[in-house]
Amino acid sequence: MSRASSVVILVLLAGLGIGATYLVQHTSAPRIAAEQRLIDTRNLLDLLPAESYDNQPLEQPLALANTGLANSTLLGGYLATKTGQTSAVLLRSQTLGYEGSIELLIAIGANGKVLGVKTLKQSETPGLGGRLADWPNTWLQVFTGKSRTEPADNGWALKKDQGQFDQMAGATITSRAVINAIHDALRYFDEHQQQLIGSSAHE
Amino acid sequence: MNKSSTLQHSLMLAPLIGATDSLVSALGLWLMFIVVISAFGVSMGALRSRLVPETRLLASVLLAATLTSCTELAAQIWSLQWHQHVGLYAGLIALQCVVLEHTGFFQSAWRDRLRLFGLFGALMAGLGVLRELIGNGTFGSHLPWLTGTAQADWQGWVLTADGGLHLATLVPGGFILLGLLIAAHQAWTRSTPPH
Repeated sequence: MSRASSVVILVLLAGLGIGATYLVQHTSAPRIAAEQRLIDTRNLLDLLPAESYDNQPLEQPLALANTGLANSTLLGGYLATKTGQTSAVLLRSQTLGYEGSIELLIAIGANGKVLGVKTLKQSETPGLGGRLADWPNTWLQVFTGKSRTEPADNGWALKKDQGQFDQMAGATITSRAVINAIHDALRYFDEHQQQLIGSSAHE
Repeated sequence: MNKSSTLQHSLMLAPLIGATDSLVSALGLWLMFIVVISAFGVSMGALRSRLVPETRLLASVLLAATLTSCTELAAQIWSLQWHQHVGLYAGLIALQCVVLEHTGFFQSAWRDRLRLFGLFGALMAGLGVLRELIGNGTFGSHLPWLTGTAQADWQGWVLTADGGLHLATLVPGGFILLGLLIAAHQAWTRSTPPH
């Protein structure tokens, strides 16, 4: 036990430590990334029935143009295909709710009908608007099967705004924001259908 | 209660409140704690005799950082979901290693060390179970995280359908619960006076 040998041991320890950590990190990074992808896939794609697509939608995000919509913004989109045919377009939409921004994942089928809506991020009042984050969500299931034509444009509002949809109990502003976001996404899908679905034909 | 044991115990407080919002996080963190502290103890035991006292602190820091980083990466591979939930407190274990080394924990008797592990584990698991029961009304939710399989999440045995007192899963609720437990413990030891 002397100063010199201690310093040597310290330097060796530092080198070994850095080397070992780098090695472990390097070998584990791909596995961790694959695991992360698996978790993301499970979280995001459980609003599509598993047998309706056979590609990896999250691997190929769509490049969207004109993403600033009337009441929301589109953050991105994914395409789910089965044997090359588009089965669903997933749009990530961000809109302003009561307390903050709400991020929704809206799945629209190739025929323009909503397949499902899922909340990705929200910071609404817990117990009221916060019920948006429950999954499976009984209120969001109301939108399944709706399209831009059914109901017509002025039907896409709350019943108290002469529309067709019930609000979430005690969360009028949140409900309005979500309805507008879904309507925006359907309009966007209609207007850009060729680009969205056509992009799969170029693969 | 001397100064060094205060530091040691207060460092235990952070994971005790932060990582016990469910049983699976508490158990996972306790397992990681045992693994890292044991590995650290063994390595430090081999090195201590070869280092002058002034360099021991630096050596313990290096060793603790390396061990904790590697164990954290291994934990990420084993169960990424658990790590995303409480990975923050896993890093704190490195600091606990250094403090324990500084207060001479690794030179104390085996029984003392086992006592610390057991006490820590019991407290973590106990708080985890209580906070999960009171806060979510479930027991053992997400336990599959620890078995490392990435299948659908198990919500645990749901005991109250409506959730529970959400406050208990948040940090203030953890503090309140810990305070109540300490008060209960003191009332218990006071009501049975020593003969």
